[in-house]
Amino acid sequence: MANGICVFAEHYNGNIETVVAELVSAAHFIKETTAEKIMAVVVSQDCETLIGQMGRLDVDEIYAVKTESDCAFQDDALSSVIADMIREIDPSSVLVPATITGRSVFSRVAAKLGCGLTADCTELLVGTRENGSYYIKQNKPSFGENVFVTIVTKEGCYPQMMTVRPGVYTPYEAKEEKVPEVKYLDIKAPASKVKVVEKRPAASNADSILAAEIVVVGGRGTEEEESFKLLKSFADSLDAAIGGTRPLVDTGFIPFEHQIGQTGYTIRPRICVSFGVSGAIQHTEGIKDTKLMIAVNKDEEAPIFNIADYGIVGDLNEILAKYLEK
Amino acid sequence: MNIAVLIKQVPVSNDVSVDPETHSLVRASSEGMINPADLNAIEEAMILKEQTEGKVVVFTMGPPEAEKALRDAMALGCDESVLLSDRCLGGADTIATAKPLARAIEKYGKFDLILSGALSSDGATGQVGAMVAEYLDIPHISEISAVQYDGADTIRAVKKYQGEEVVMEAELPALMTVCFGCNEPRLATLRTKRAAKNKPLETYTNAELQFDAEEIGIKGSPTIVTDSFSPERTRRAVMMTGTPEEMAAKIKELIEIEKGKN
Repeated sequence: MANGICVFAEHYNGNIETVVAELVSAAHFIKETTAEKIMAVVVSQDCETLIGQMGRLDVDEIYAVKTESDCAFQDDALSSVIADMIREIDPSSVLVPATITGRSVFSRVAAKLGCGLTADCTELLVGTRENGSYYIKQNKPSFGENVFVTIVTKEGCYPQMMTVRPGVYTPYEAKEEKVPEVKYLDIKAPASKVKVVEKRPAASNADSILAAEIVVVGGRGTEEEESFKLLKSFADSLDAAIGGTRPLVDTGFIPFEHQIGQTGYTIRPRICVSFGVSGAIQHTEGIKDTKLMIAVNKDEEAPIFNIADYGIVGDLNEILAKYLEK
Repeated sequence: MNIAVLIKQVPVSNDVSVDPETHSLVRASSEGMINPADLNAIEEAMILKEQTEGKVVVFTMGPPEAEKALRDAMALGCDESVLLSDRCLGGADTIATAKPLARAIEKYGKFDLILSGALSSDGATGQVGAMVAEYLDIPHISEISAVQYDGADTIRAVKKYQGEEVVMEAELPALMTVCFGCNEPRLATLRTKRAAKNKPLETYTNAELQFDAEEIGIKGSPTIVTDSFSPERTRRAVMMTGTPEEMAAKIKELIEIEKGKN
């Protein structure tokens, strides 16, 4: 009988990704109701280092497979190992970071196991069936952020597998270090048909926005050339980088690399000021760890006010013009 | 090099709301278009076609109206197209979408490369490409921003990852999913649109694909949508009001306070 909540311990360059602790928070929430064990799954050349980083996650068990070479980006080989691990562990649910690697590897795992994979969940709730068994209600945004849907893995279909959006849950941190039970599984990675040729610093100027202390974000309200000029002057006065949502990228005023949200980058500026941006959901993914977020929008119902620290309802052109006058 | 491109017809507008009574989706418009990232995949296919010759076949699964997306793709230069359309394929999740697509590709012919957009603008799961690769038992590289091919039996791709560009090489045949915005898709002209009307379009129903009923559509989907609802609006921001001048001053003040911390 499938049992246990499994979390994929994604890692890169020898570090467990922050999102893993977030997923463990979600797992602890599920555990409160189902009382299942929480298990982490790790696949690496150097499992020991990674396991050492998981001491404060309060997981019950860690399942590890030590690979002979670094399998990063070899999603065909990785998915084969992970599918074998899941077959052996037989968990009732698998929580995966909704990251480039997570969705790529686990799409293949889902096809191998014939189980589903719900994408990009922002909320996991526990439901109870008539026969007393538990299931996970997997809530996710759809059509941009306009609608949320609840997805359920069919009864009898295990594991219930889902990717969870980074930044939604607070990272779990237990007060005390705890050494979980570690089980190494004897699974061999097959030869991959993908290899990494080289890694180089990104050539594009996206770096400037990734590293920026202050970011000014323009949305649909800044598509007009005049408005964009004001936005640009404002950004220049603060020595800030300019990011934008899809409509602004579509105008060509800012490069694709500066798109924030669904298809763009996650930025971590200290200060973020947005003008004419209405959306909220894409931004929770696109902007993180901001100390000060100010939003200006003419629609007082704009969802951006649900995530901003300060909200101003008004005309961005007028406000920017006044700001620049001084 | 023969290339298959997988595309999805998506609504032009994401302006969708939920009927509070029935919880069914209310769409502002039913107009469809090719998913934006799929246009980048088509463009990548066109560049490779110009370089290597061979043909480009575009595939989609959907209702009969999805023919429009295929004709649009052929107006951009794709040579042939396949529409997977059958009532029993409807209501599919990503697993039950990838399975028929993979079988249709196998049935249609031999391809060296399969391309698709990385994410769709509506569902945005980013799963179907990798799943198709798994069903075809070929390698894949997801969410790439450039392809380089030098005529060998491998292909290279660039994936932007955590501030770096990772150059990868996959053995052919392979599948790649292409990021939105990584190239400048060409536009159709009146002449290419006219030509597209006469290009081959095959329709595959389950009579051709030969799945058991429980393998496809809603029955073949491990996951189901049980509810839809409008997002909760909980206000977090401290709202400020005043004249534009006052607001401009307020913005300046807040930024200066934050800058002064440390």
